[in-house]
Amino acid sequence: MTVTVSATGLTLRYGGTRALDDVSLTLGTGVTGLLGPNGAGKTTLLRVLATAVPADRGSFTVLGHDPGSAAGRQELRRRLGYLPQNPGFHPDFSAFEFVDYVAILKEMTDRGARHREVRRVLEAVDLSDVRGRRMKRLSGGMRQRVALAAALVGDPGFLVLDEPTVGLDPEQRVRFRELIAQAGEGRTVLLSTHQTEDVAMLCQRVVVLAGGRVRFEGTPAELTARAAGRVWSSAERDPGARAGWRTGTGMFRNVGDPPEGADLLEPTLEDGYLLTLGDGEREAVA
Amino acid sequence: MTWHVAEEDLCAYARGDLAPPLLWSADTHLTACAECRARLAGVSDPVAVTDGWERLDAELDAPRRGLCEGLLVRCGVTDHSARLLAATPVLRRSWLLAVTFVLAMTVLMVRVADSPGLFLALAPLLPLAGVAVSYGPVLDPTYEMAVVAPMHGFRLLMLRTCAVLGAGLVLNGLATLALPGYGLRALAWLLPALALTATGLALTPRLGPVLAPALVGVAWTTLLLIAQATTEGTPAPFTAPGQLGAAVVAAAAGWLLVRLRDRFDTTPAHAPFTGFTHGSAV
Repeated sequence: MTVTVSATGLTLRYGGTRALDDVSLTLGTGVTGLLGPNGAGKTTLLRVLATAVPADRGSFTVLGHDPGSAAGRQELRRRLGYLPQNPGFHPDFSAFEFVDYVAILKEMTDRGARHREVRRVLEAVDLSDVRGRRMKRLSGGMRQRVALAAALVGDPGFLVLDEPTVGLDPEQRVRFRELIAQAGEGRTVLLSTHQTEDVAMLCQRVVVLAGGRVRFEGTPAELTARAAGRVWSSAERDPGARAGWRTGTGMFRNVGDPPEGADLLEPTLEDGYLLTLGDGEREAVA
Repeated sequence: MTWHVAEEDLCAYARGDLAPPLLWSADTHLTACAECRARLAGVSDPVAVTDGWERLDAELDAPRRGLCEGLLVRCGVTDHSARLLAATPVLRRSWLLAVTFVLAMTVLMVRVADSPGLFLALAPLLPLAGVAVSYGPVLDPTYEMAVVAPMHGFRLLMLRTCAVLGAGLVLNGLATLALPGYGLRALAWLLPALALTATGLALTPRLGPVLAPALVGVAWTTLLLIAQATTEGTPAPFTAPGQLGAAVVAAAAGWLLVRLRDRFDTTPAHAPFTGFTHGSAV
């Protein structure tokens, strides 16, 4: 893996809480999923890497640029596409105007070239037909796609997407996955999500964050392998299981340390993820 | 067709050197005139022609500018700056109407009471509040995207500050004209307005975009109450020495603001009332 993003010892406190606690990670080209329960520090990590907030301690580079200096931060931002968790919009702007506004913030001052770029990214997210419609009249899924288009302006080498599929219906989510997969070709994408299925379907690598610390870094297959031999089926919930739930078959799926002779099941990414978290953190996921 | 693009302009168009408004005129004409298109093909290489059509296509596809944005462009503001200004929350009609209403009511009360004190006290606070709500995570819905953009945050702040100050000072000025009986004394709000706005901005990197202007507003009100209670006649801030003091504060705060310009480049993680609570941040 060619390293494009490298972070060492990132720490950030909010009041008495360590939102990030000595986080070190490396990312390469392709889509990396950032999994974690609520309050794990995912958004904080993304905001630090996107240079929205500075870390108290630690350092990182993106595509060789260190945001520690004003010049480095500027160069990093020129290569950054960022879709925040709750992207805000000027409601009276049309989709075209909004993306145009973001393009201006990205230093595209030539009107003709900028408008061509706006049309390109709106076409990439399949929104050319509604480019003149006001943001307040677009559906939630369309707004998310406009925000993704805005993030793609200028063909950034590092794309940071904070829970882009939240609130989307299944059809929209599939559409969004296609778009993110396309975006991940030739660039580094860091995707924060609660959805293990997003990671299983999209990501070449996965980072699990909990309590502000990195609990796992590797491929989805490696995370899934953590649950090999630790998932079993039973008629009742096994009290010894770390987590268990009734499935559509009426049987319980248990995750943890199986009793002898247990009816072992094929593990999934979600099983590996649950086993990576501590007890309190699993409850946060549930 | 009653006219055709001049040979010289056509060559400049093919080279990409033709400047507006001749460029727009040629673009529009070429869409309708096959003869000029054929002449253009003769004087230019295919790549340049394709670029020209793409440019024309993009131009025709561009949305119409809004009222505020169009007005700014007509006043000579570049199109990209106009769009940035049009996104300034405080330039919205609702804010301008609210400020106009407050000023109209204040002028009315001043006329009834036959004293400009209320107007002079209130007028400096309006630009301060306007600038405070034009930038920052609390009221700018796209703040998070703007702060990570390569455009320097201080430049965006200054653009918006100029726009808000411009609009606010014009409204205050109109209100001043409605009080002709007080002469130059009715203009004594101007320097305090600049001082309060500059001080509020200079304190923002340290205290956040809500607390800083709020504290400055409270300090101004307290100063006026003390001045009112301790002096007879015109309160000190509106006398000649008071105006000089306001000018000094404005200059010092402006200097500090420029010194701190890089601090507007990121969201201060620990500044109070930045709009990002601990819960929403993680």
